[in-house]
Amino acid sequence: MRLHVWGVRGSIPAPGPETNRYGGNTSCVAIQTAAGELIIIDMGTGLLGLGNSLLPGDFGKGKGHATILLSHAHWDHIQGLGFFVPVFIPGNHFTLFGHAKSSSMLEGILEGQMNPNFSPLYTLRNLGATFDVRAVIPGEPFEASGVRITGRPNPHGSTTALAFRVEEGDRSFVYASDVGYEDGGPSPEMLELYRGASVLLHDCTYTPEHQEKRRNRGFSSYVDAADAATRAAVGHLVMFHYDQDYADADVDALRDACRAELDARGGAGIGLTAAAEGLELEI
Amino acid sequence: MKVRFWGVRGSVPVPGRHTNRYGGNTSCVEVRPRGDWPIIIDAGTGIRRLGKSMMESAFGDGGGTAHVLISHTHWDHIQGLPFFSPFYQEGNHVHVFARQRHDTHLQAVFASQTEDPYFPVPLSSLKAEIEFHELVEGAHFELGRARVTCTRLNHPWIAMAYRVDADGGSMVYCSDTAPFSDVLLEHEFISTPPQVGGVLDPAIAAKLASMRAGLVAMCQGVDLLIYDTQFTPDEYRARPHWGHSTPIDAIQVAREAGIKTLCLYHHAPSRSDEQQDLILRETQDLCRAAGDPFEVIAAYEGLEVVLGDDG
Ligand SMILES: [Zn+2]
Ligand SMILES: [Zn+2]
Ligand SMILES: [Zn+2]
Repeated sequence: MRLHVWGVRGSIPAPGPETNRYGGNTSCVAIQTAAGELIIIDMGTGLLGLGNSLLPGDFGKGKGHATILLSHAHWDHIQGLGFFVPVFIPGNHFTLFGHAKSSSMLEGILEGQMNPNFSPLYTLRNLGATFDVRAVIPGEPFEASGVRITGRPNPHGSTTALAFRVEEGDRSFVYASDVGYEDGGPSPEMLELYRGASVLLHDCTYTPEHQEKRRNRGFSSYVDAADAATRAAVGHLVMFHYDQDYADADVDALRDACRAELDARGGAGIGLTAAAEGLELEI
Repeated sequence: MKVRFWGVRGSVPVPGRHTNRYGGNTSCVEVRPRGDWPIIIDAGTGIRRLGKSMMESAFGDGGGTAHVLISHTHWDHIQGLPFFSPFYQEGNHVHVFARQRHDTHLQAVFASQTEDPYFPVPLSSLKAEIEFHELVEGAHFELGRARVTCTRLNHPWIAMAYRVDADGGSMVYCSDTAPFSDVLLEHEFISTPPQVGGVLDPAIAAKLASMRAGLVAMCQGVDLLIYDTQFTPDEYRARPHWGHSTPIDAIQVAREAGIKTLCLYHHAPSRSDEQQDLILRETQDLCRAAGDPFEVIAAYEGLEVVLGDDG
């Protein structure tokens, strides 16, 4: 599997020279499986860049298909959908897995964004591509794009966000963005989901000082990320979902502090990367 | 009065090196009559930084009043609103103006933007006092020392253009709109592009002509005309039903209305700084060759234009 990072920002896109290195686009990553299948996780504005990169291939001819995993429906995780060029090309097909009481409710949530008050697209049905929308059953593994995927909800402020584990052969990737743990860190079920992952991509929105002031928002600090990574004994930690006000130098500092935190917790052997737009990582 | 640009982009924010100079934030313009509260036109992602700057003034202590004029509720014109800091300070007053709809109250449209499952902080829990004002075409009203008028545009689900007069200066914000020649854009979804230059039903042609006349009349003699010029002529021919104009459409309105400065605005998300430079230069050359008396500029984040007897 190979990880491609397209958007790393939380809450709202943050354009400007001060975010050029890590990038200002909201959350979106892609996994390319060994068999060449595509799995997209979250649909922030990073999805635009991914869409353009797909056009020379099958998606440009209307013969593309991909799995989309949606952690939750906050704007910064769905706002790229209406600007993802492959959805306008008839013949492309997407199977979308997300969190809702039912598949039809999940589809309704996506429709809410396309509503004519907000979007000139009016409805998902006006897109050329077809969508198969499915609600994930928490903790129950399913097959998609030829790999095994498990989703489980993490606490996220007043709501929850799904974390996903994607497994291919002996390699595993975990996506855990937008999580504000209760005191004591990840629940036993979540630690189980993260356990031994080759790569854990984890919410790293804040410094602990900033997190303290914004507790109710349900985001992690680098301390939470380092704690989760060491307790789950993962191979590599990828920091993700930076606050919109953090300039590149702030994220550099966040990464250095996270490295020190990992080392202090006995995780000196855990690799660390601060996600940046354009990053590719072999899993 | 001063006009300052906080977001100049259309459709979707586009961070990255290629937009560093013009800026990647979506539509937001601040109009500030001398010594008066700000009038904000549109609330794309540009409003986030504007809000932060406002918190350095009376808004930081909850003593501010802001007026927000919304052209229409497409995402690129409202998506920054939940990140507008003055909303989160008790005591501030924010008046939001937008076109009246027959089907839904404005408040409901804006409330659904911040409700579960889309955003964690619902409108009803914001600390500032927020009041919604529904406008009909042709409405005119005073905001402090400023006089505001509005007229409708040719855009899916209908957008409004606004004129603000204060301190002996005047400006019009005209975004988003298609030219008034090939298709009438209202409530219906149009799936296939109509033919550019084709013959229109006379009733539709008349409606478009009167819409355009209303806009030209409202723009009469303004110091600054900010105009949606998202498309190149080729892009327009491919997508006349998307509701955006080219610099040529803007020039024609500017000529007829006798304005002083035309400002290209609502730049395409795909446009790099270099491409936008080129569009600006070409438009300036066109106007120079035609002997047009007005100046042409292109909006960028941080641009400030002083109008009337301010400064
Ligand atoms: Zn998020
Ligand atoms: Zn727009
Ligand atoms: Zn629009």
